Amino acid sequence: MAISLLNPKAEVARAAQALAVNITAAKGLQDVMKSNLGPKGTVKMLVSGAGDIKITKDGNVLLHEMQIQHPTASLIARASTAQDDSTGDGTTSTVLVIGELLKQADIYISEGLHPRIITEGFDKAREKALEVLEKIKIPVEINKENLTDICKTSLRTKMFVLMLYWLLKKDDKPVDLYMIELMEMQHKTETDTKLIKGLVLDHGSRHPDMPKSLRNCYILTCNVSMEYEKSEVNSGFFYKTAEEREKMVSAEREFITQRVKKVIALKKSLCDGTDKTFVVINQKGIDPMSLDMLAKEGIIALRRAKRRNMERLALACGGIAVNSFDDLQESHLGQAGYVYEHVLGENKYTFVEDCKVPQSVTILMKGPNKHTLMQIKDAIRDGLRAINNVIEDKAVVPGAAAFEVTVNRELLAFKDTVKGKSRLGVAAYAEAMLIIPKTLAVNSGFDVQDTIVKLQEESRLNPEPVGLDLTSGEPINPKDAGIFRQLHSQEADHQLVLGDCQQFITRG
Amino acid sequence: MGSREILTLQFGHYSNYVGTHWWNVQEQGFEYDSSSSSEIDHDVLYREGLTEKNEVTFTPRLLFVDLKGSLKSLPESGNLYAPNFNDPSAEWDPDLVTVKTEPVNNKNQFQQDLDSSACKNIHRNAYDFEKDVSVWSDFLYTRFHPRSVNIIREYQHCNENTPFDVFPLGTSLWKSPQFDDDFCNKIRSYVEECDSFQASDLEIGFHMLTDCTNAFAGLSSSCVEHLKDDYDKSALLIFPVMPSYFPDRVTSVEERYQSLANDSVRVLNMALGFSAFSEHASLFVPLSVGSKGWRKPGPKRQFDLVEYDHELPYHSSALLASALETFSLKYRLKSSHFTLTDLCADLNRNGRRAAAASLKLPFSLNGSADLLDCLDKWQGPLTQSITPSCEIGSENLIQYITLRGIKEEQLKQPPHLAQKQLKLPAYKCDSIASMLNMYLAYSTDFSISNVTAVNKPLNVATPYPRIFQAAAGRQANVSTRAVPEFGQENVPVLAGLHNGPPIGDMLESLYTETKRIKFAKFPQFIAGGMESEEYEECLNTLSTLRENYVDDYVI
Repeated sequence: MAISLLNPKAEVARAAQALAVNITAAKGLQDVMKSNLGPKGTVKMLVSGAGDIKITKDGNVLLHEMQIQHPTASLIARASTAQDDSTGDGTTSTVLVIGELLKQADIYISEGLHPRIITEGFDKAREKALEVLEKIKIPVEINKENLTDICKTSLRTKMFVLMLYWLLKKDDKPVDLYMIELMEMQHKTETDTKLIKGLVLDHGSRHPDMPKSLRNCYILTCNVSMEYEKSEVNSGFFYKTAEEREKMVSAEREFITQRVKKVIALKKSLCDGTDKTFVVINQKGIDPMSLDMLAKEGIIALRRAKRRNMERLALACGGIAVNSFDDLQESHLGQAGYVYEHVLGENKYTFVEDCKVPQSVTILMKGPNKHTLMQIKDAIRDGLRAINNVIEDKAVVPGAAAFEVTVNRELLAFKDTVKGKSRLGVAAYAEAMLIIPKTLAVNSGFDVQDTIVKLQEESRLNPEPVGLDLTSGEPINPKDAGIFRQLHSQEADHQLVLGDCQQFITRG
Repeated sequence: MGSREILTLQFGHYSNYVGTHWWNVQEQGFEYDSSSSSEIDHDVLYREGLTEKNEVTFTPRLLFVDLKGSLKSLPESGNLYAPNFNDPSAEWDPDLVTVKTEPVNNKNQFQQDLDSSACKNIHRNAYDFEKDVSVWSDFLYTRFHPRSVNIIREYQHCNENTPFDVFPLGTSLWKSPQFDDDFCNKIRSYVEECDSFQASDLEIGFHMLTDCTNAFAGLSSSCVEHLKDDYDKSALLIFPVMPSYFPDRVTSVEERYQSLANDSVRVLNMALGFSAFSEHASLFVPLSVGSKGWRKPGPKRQFDLVEYDHELPYHSSALLASALETFSLKYRLKSSHFTLTDLCADLNRNGRRAAAASLKLPFSLNGSADLLDCLDKWQGPLTQSITPSCEIGSENLIQYITLRGIKEEQLKQPPHLAQKQLKLPAYKCDSIASMLNMYLAYSTDFSISNVTAVNKPLNVATPYPRIFQAAAGRQANVSTRAVPEFGQENVPVLAGLHNGPPIGDMLESLYTETKRIKFAKFPQFIAGGMESEEYEECLNTLSTLRENYVDDYVI
């Protein structure tokens, strides 16, 4: 009764019954997600009760959007989305494989096999699968062509690879994804999405007289308050008259004025007599009086910049972010060829472009409406993560279900070497792997049995990994077709899936 | 015009109920007639915007957070900035798209009438809000900027499998990109656009309404920390709100256990929230119409001439919103430069960061002809506390009182009719503020009071609940719908913010309640990533805060 004390509404389910419940949940989720898998999977448009629209094919997004009532299903959903957070890929296949493993386990358990034995078999199978993964992974040299190929399977957009590659030219370290700003603009169409070799800020100058665009700019990045701040004693009970108050205020104000004057002095010494101009980007506030002073000097000043942008700015234009205006020097300043403002309704955007050696860039996403923007954003996030993982692993795995087919073959062979009943677990695991090529076949409109038989045969004859060609339904070598997946997601798939399944099977 | 913008943040479903009423009454009170200028500076809480179609909008400077499924018929994009919509499925190959449509949430009659611009008599129609309102967007009159809407996708509204119920769930949610990145960015862009033309008043303040009985306490605590880090000079006034009724069923033994456990979880959330607020906020004022607040909301607070159902959040939140709307006038008047920072600085002396609020709704003159007469005959305390477990009393207080809706003509009798009034010392007062100030000076001891009087009464037109008794209309000065001959739907209100020793007692009682709970028996907290040291620390913070209220040895 212990459990009912904790939660009186909990339904007590044991052993076989519990397993049945878990399997139904996993199957249900599998059915929903099935149609997403692979490039031929269908896109889902979700319309909420209030009319909000979401268009997606990403398993991760779908799981977040679904209203999952069943506790087991929601556990699976959480596990799968957690995987996505680290790899940016593989949610759908995780869900499919979990469902299939449970289904296969069910067959044996209903015949009286103890769940523990099955999980033992699963454990062995997993180790083997990881071995296979190690065997068939293809080390890649990080270059433009390879990355482009990987991106094609992960997402069909080449632009980002070019950008990353171009960023990478300097050294081999993995890219700090924070250094890539994603900026969205509800404007034009999705095909106008582009890479800006510089930074786009989502705010503009707040003074009507400031220039709207400048060329050949010095960029001062700073984190110094340029606004008058009220002191705490300045309150209702302490001031009798308005004059008294004003006096105090003007004394405090002078302090800020001095700061602004320092910036102006620097600008004068550097820019006067040349064609150079000056831009101030501040993380703290700048009040209207300070803005006014700066505007008179033809300086563009932006206030309240994002904290992360301060780092990005320093990387994009050079220079460093300063915390005080004492000892300001030219070396503290960054440079940009072109700074301009773009106004869109009530939103302003400031572009800092034409930087000399940008180490930080912006992907400017455009789309006619919110849901298109969201779609682009999800795709870009995943793509960036995928590429970054590949760069870290320096290896990829052949795609088009080649890995699953190979694991199936190897496990079936491995099964015979396993002693005792746990070999049944290995068999179940091997069978479950085939769900991926099966689903791919269904989604592309091919006969499932036909496809699997063809693949297995080909795999037996061919030492190379064999995958499924989604246009012809014939076996292919994914390497030749340039279809790859990232190592990370495959590895995580197996680690994670198993932990979950074991829990579900043995619980109760 | 001095500007002292305030950004309002609302966390949680009940907070949004309160917030909705608050924005509703403000918007009902807007004067569209350009000849008479408003006393209230609406730019403090509202902002002007521009849609893509170049239409000017005036929307609350607001960010609210709620769980998935709680908006019902309100679309996430708001309805002001909706783009001219063409069917998105047209852009796609129909073979490749599966369309899944949830059942359409039908708008209730009120929302439908709001949408059809032809219907002008919204205020006259009768709507059955008591039965009709299941979420706050059902009686929402205000239109929001799309930026204001923040929906948590990880948890669903009223879902028992994945409840959003314990503090650490909120703190860990804050670390997700939705909040860490998007939400903080929204705060920043609101702050960025705030501007003023008189540098001497440049300031942005923050109002935060937050549920403190569930995981929103954790979410808002993390947000408070963020605000403190990034905008350390800004005033931050927090109103933790507690519903006055929880629909726990207690019909069997198990359900009784469950209900007790729920109560403890709520108390823990509150305690953890309060201790975080006391560290980072300028001031926090717990609000509830339940008189006890902690384990059980307790019996509801009674207001003369008001009959309300405390089980309906629609009713109870309206009372809290009225108080908010009234005492916040102090720093929202065009005629004064008083700001939120000033208010907080005055009220949180000696580290007394918790304060109490009170309300007198409606402020009727009790059949007297004028304010002088009324105050002369007044019995008992002027206002009713709306802070749980706290009776404000009349000693050692520092308080800000705001009275609205009493006209200057109602101050006192003219000299030739004054008769007995002439003998009263208060007859010398020639403004409402000074008279009330005098009254407070006589009726409280060792206290500082600051009184603000505003002419504009509180507008209680639909969708404000009909909670006033019929008698309220007859007793001078309170005009309500119940008595249509008065025509207008305005009531005078008195509300105040107070700080003093009684708040110490409130903290004491919360401390005792929290201490009695065996933290280890609530594994949800540990599972959510909290450590038992944090619980100890929270107890310490509460007791330190409580000590700030002991007056005896501070001379």
